[in-house]
Amino acid sequence: MVYDLVLPALPFIGGYLFTYSLYRMDLIRKALHINIWNFIIGVAFLISGGAGFLLLLFMEFGVKLPINPQLLYWHVELGVTLALVTIFHFHTYWKSSKTMFFPAKRRVKT
Amino acid sequence: MMEGFTRKISKDNLRSALGKENLKSALEKIPLKEKLLLAASTIPFIAASTMSSSCATTCPYGMVNDPFPGQCSRYIDLDGDGMCDLSQVTTAAQTTDTTTTTTDDTSTGTDSGQGNGAHAEVQDPVDANATTIQDTPSMDSGNLGGDGNNYLVLPISMLIIGGYLVTHFLFKKGILKRNKHRRIWNLLLTAGYLGSGGTGVILAVLINMGIRTALNPSLIFWHVELSILMVVGTLIHLHIYRKPFRNMFRVLFGFKSNSRRRDPNRAEGTSK
Repeated sequence: MVYDLVLPALPFIGGYLFTYSLYRMDLIRKALHINIWNFIIGVAFLISGGAGFLLLLFMEFGVKLPINPQLLYWHVELGVTLALVTIFHFHTYWKSSKTMFFPAKRRVKT
Repeated sequence: MMEGFTRKISKDNLRSALGKENLKSALEKIPLKEKLLLAASTIPFIAASTMSSSCATTCPYGMVNDPFPGQCSRYIDLDGDGMCDLSQVTTAAQTTDTTTTTTDDTSTGTDSGQGNGAHAEVQDPVDANATTIQDTPSMDSGNLGGDGNNYLVLPISMLIIGGYLVTHFLFKKGILKRNKHRRIWNLLLTAGYLGSGGTGVILAVLINMGIRTALNPSLIFWHVELSILMVVGTLIHLHIYRKPFRNMFRVLFGFKSNSRRRDPNRAEGTSK
């Protein structure tokens, strides 16, 4: 089984750039842009994490189902999407992310 | 002094303390939030107790004679016949089972090792005499703290949830600042995402390119372990940022939210 790593990522990169430019041009509110991508990251997490958890359970119980290869495929594909949207999430919350990695005191210029 | 103590814990006192009414009133005093938190913390225990300890090391996807490079990352071919060993039928005579089993009665054998053949099904009688080398525990886990079927779901979940309950308690008591509390859990979540995502992408690339290295089993092991951190960390993240999470549904779908707007200058519907 060969996994597509680039193709599924393209619509999400395009979509993020699209909503981000709409927000920058004041055509949509910042809250809408942020919440759209929070919702997408949530859905990707649910599907990818859910499929992964199911696969783990199936392995533990030794359950063999015909849908298992499909489940694995979508786990990987949505996992790639999740990784990408996580980067967008960091970009959206960049200010607080910076504070998380480098506490405010350290960022003060001497 | 001893008499006083024994008097205190006399049967009658105990009975009255453990009486139905006392217990009921004590339970009623606990706020709903704490009850929910307690109930949530029992989930991993229930999940672990229902998990079977003996697991099959046959193909988890039920494939038979899966050719190179394999349908999944667990592809292993020690005998070099171009087929995944897990998808091939194993004969009980070659295993290290303490009891002798036959291919007709594989499901009743007890394993002392990794359970190979415990759940095996003979699907191709031609391959019944095929020689398959028994997987050693290290083949699946990379000698990194557990075999392939034991991904330490329970201990890690317990540790994370326990850690969160401790920091949440410290935060509620004012010992830990809100920022520090959030920072700790955001950093852990980032570590989980980076680790899980990083190992996942590496595994996908390796499978796509048909590269098999000795690191693969370790990568899978750490991918699962860090994914547990990621999943539990995400649920904690949702709990920490529950107000903006509720706002998300209001902004996107127009659902009503009970949370009040405190700062009119703050960007509505966002957490920061």
